[in-house]
Amino acid sequence: MTTEASLAAALDSLRRLPDVRYAEVRLVEGHGERLAVRGGRPEQVTAEATRGAGIRVLGSRTWGFACSADTSEASLVAAAARALQIARASSSVARTVAPFPEQPAQRGRYETRVAVDPFTIPIEQKLALLDAPARALCAGDARLVSSEAWMEWTRVRKHLVTSEGTDVTQAFTYGASGMHVFARGDDGVSQRRSYPTYQGSDGFQAGWERIAALDLPGHVDRVKDEALALLTAPLCPEGPRSLLLESSQVALQIHESCGHPTELDRALGSEISLAGGSFMQPRMLGQLRYGSPLVTIVADSTSEGGNGTFGWDDEGVPAGRRPLVDRGLFVDYLSSRETAAALGRASTGTMRAEGWNRPPIIRMINVSLDPGDAGSLEDLVAATDDGVLMATDKSWSIDDLRLNFQFSCEIAWEVKKGRRTRLLRDPCYTGITPRFWGSCDAICGPGEWRLWGLDQCGKGDPIQTMQVGHGASPARFRDVAIGSAS
Amino acid sequence: MNADELLTLARDVLSSAGEPEVELYLRVAERGCARFAIGELGQHMQLSEPQAAVRVAHGLQVAETVTTKLDREALLEAVRSTARAARLVPQVEGFPGFTRDEEPERASPVRHAQSTANATPEERVERLAPVLQAVRDAGLVGAGMLETAVVAHALATTGGCARSHDATFASYKVWALETPGAGGAAGYGGHAHRDVTALRIAEETERAVRVCRDSRDPGSLEAGTYDVVMEPEAVTELLEWLSSIAFGAPEIEQGSSPMAGRLGERITGEAIDLVEDPLSDDPELGFGAPFDREGTWRGRVPLVERGVARAVLYDRTYASRMGTTSTGSALLPSPGSAAGVGATALALGPGEAASVGELIAGVKRGLYVCRLHYVNGLLEPRRAVMTGLTRDGCFLIEDGKIARAVGNLRFTDSLLEGLARSDGMTRERKAIPTWWGDAGVVVAPAVRIRGWRFNGRSQQRPDM
Repeated sequence: MTTEASLAAALDSLRRLPDVRYAEVRLVEGHGERLAVRGGRPEQVTAEATRGAGIRVLGSRTWGFACSADTSEASLVAAAARALQIARASSSVARTVAPFPEQPAQRGRYETRVAVDPFTIPIEQKLALLDAPARALCAGDARLVSSEAWMEWTRVRKHLVTSEGTDVTQAFTYGASGMHVFARGDDGVSQRRSYPTYQGSDGFQAGWERIAALDLPGHVDRVKDEALALLTAPLCPEGPRSLLLESSQVALQIHESCGHPTELDRALGSEISLAGGSFMQPRMLGQLRYGSPLVTIVADSTSEGGNGTFGWDDEGVPAGRRPLVDRGLFVDYLSSRETAAALGRASTGTMRAEGWNRPPIIRMINVSLDPGDAGSLEDLVAATDDGVLMATDKSWSIDDLRLNFQFSCEIAWEVKKGRRTRLLRDPCYTGITPRFWGSCDAICGPGEWRLWGLDQCGKGDPIQTMQVGHGASPARFRDVAIGSAS
Repeated sequence: MNADELLTLARDVLSSAGEPEVELYLRVAERGCARFAIGELGQHMQLSEPQAAVRVAHGLQVAETVTTKLDREALLEAVRSTARAARLVPQVEGFPGFTRDEEPERASPVRHAQSTANATPEERVERLAPVLQAVRDAGLVGAGMLETAVVAHALATTGGCARSHDATFASYKVWALETPGAGGAAGYGGHAHRDVTALRIAEETERAVRVCRDSRDPGSLEAGTYDVVMEPEAVTELLEWLSSIAFGAPEIEQGSSPMAGRLGERITGEAIDLVEDPLSDDPELGFGAPFDREGTWRGRVPLVERGVARAVLYDRTYASRMGTTSTGSALLPSPGSAAGVGATALALGPGEAASVGELIAGVKRGLYVCRLHYVNGLLEPRRAVMTGLTRDGCFLIEDGKIARAVGNLRFTDSLLEGLARSDGMTRERKAIPTWWGDAGVVVAPAVRIRGWRFNGRSQQRPDM
């Protein structure tokens, strides 16, 4: 019997039962490789493989989930029975009935657009590509104490069948690559400098063709020069200033202060364990002034090459593009069929699971800031009389309602009278989310807009990690509390 | 599968694969997680977590495969494909080979409780039903999770090393909330034990309700420097970050650790002892396997003694490179995250205070902090500078007594410098499970720190 037939058999075993309102069976199989070279030697050469199926059942009142690594018919039918047993057990104490509006059956196939299959490139070629910049980063100065270059590839195939007749297959190819160097001064204090951004935010959905465009060797000299210069740079001064953020830092700012608080499960209270709630409550839809009129933030699972791009989410809702913040006004959530129904709305299609052995939960897709009209980053600098430009995240922290945040960055430059002047080390900024986005008075144009990919966004309990995307151009914020992280 | 069955499978695969240098670690966890929120049991899950970590060496060339496919044929193919990769990769400096059959078997602390292994979905629901009712009766909203898990580990190498270990794990955590997800007062309780019947479910629920009630209508407090008394749940958040930046050999080699180049020097207060203590036989504090993913027996490692940096943690390769022996600290990789070197049972203290109240009594004006949220320790790792926020209960102390609840505050301070200003810890300690795998925990007492720096306030409720 084929695996497809096993999925169908498991689904059939549930579909016939009177107390099953909905059931889904999701096969996930994947493989990948993680390569890292540190200081001229391989730090990690790891292949990965996974295969199994997850089964989610909505009983008379509530949900059950079970899974199996064995995808034979007998094992999946048994897993289906366990999921139903759990749903029935939980229904016995449920006071409410989980709403779950019907979804038209979906059929089709999605596949990442890949020009060159990364799994056809020999592993020794990949390691050599990492080895050269990793060695060069540490060459020529004893203060350059440690360097690392990395590359990751993952291919995942999902097949979702549901009791509503949905039958969709998706194949994803995710990649990431980058490098960093640590410089250490006479005082023992280290400074890290990374390219293209900090590790974990350099992901994409594409093929090997992205590696050539990344050009690690072409950025070695700048990265090591900046790491060394940071050792003796003055601390970032404290006080309210105009803050200019480069694109990848804007992306993380979106992630933490817009992506997470617009997750409707958080706002309703389903993610208290681990994650917390949200200051963006349903009564504020259409009312909350989240940012300045320049700020439009869109959830888009159709963005080409995005970590959060797909054909359908894990409960069969088609991909789409919807604004969350429209010209500064909070207008929608990242939602599921169940949570959206609680507000009388339609799902925005964001349910995804880390793998076959986790149930889907609301996850960011590609949550991106629309570009503005402030030209290039250098145009923005030229238009700033007094401020600080910060780049590449180093630390991140935000409260459980996603209001009070504090980020520190690897590097900053003081901006005076339209010019970058001195380099600053250990820059840090803090703020309250709606005030911060309300102070946004310039966003660079489409030429500076870049889609970044986070590979390890953590949410859920037990924790699930997920690939999510954020597009952004550099932007400027007025009167931000900045200072030094040390 | 139990651990003996996993070990039999591992040996069979090694003997059939025909490769001379192979290490095979197998781990299977079966987890039952009953997660509740908004007063309802909305996510109840059975999670299977099979994992194999295969390493093959060809001289000093080493490659690895991590897979969830644990059938014999899939494991054999994993060994073969890893062997092919090992012949293509550069040499790993200092690689000492896989563990051989050199060390005698050691007695393992008991980590298994049949009651937990037998727990059913119906039993989890039965245990949670009074919790949901109790929080509701208090006029509050409940959230949290009850987990029962069975975990089997086995390791075999072609050098004859063979290890196996069965464990169970049960944990309970609960929030009592003023609003479901919109902020306001909150209280937390939690407990972990290998035996689900030993979990303090009612007691921890009462604690969460009490803290939530006491946290209502918080007053405003300016950011500034305050003496602080932190509950173990708050202290372990800080120690978990310290563990990830300070004690592993890679961070020492990289120079980013606050211990790098400072072994033998005082790095924090004289009252501070930090130890990796994975073999604790206290059922309240001891979790995890007695060997690491390389088969090295874990042991007690004093990391900081009376404030002086004494030791760091090694796997076999880093130990070989740095001229020492492994501390049994090789961490298992998982799909999506690299293998590493680090602690699985970092423990602080204990101190001498009989209670948290005794610590509070010694504060003229300060803060009592129940938990922390979203701590980050990457600001300046050499000083262990960390930032984060209070959560689930923050109270002003005046004249040695809790005066009133205050809104959440952000802190930014050096943990090591803060601990140097610590003048009190409780005798009683608590084990808090960490985010990372291998059934890791951090063990801590409640701690009093003088002059902890709070640099910002958060809003307690959203506004328009």
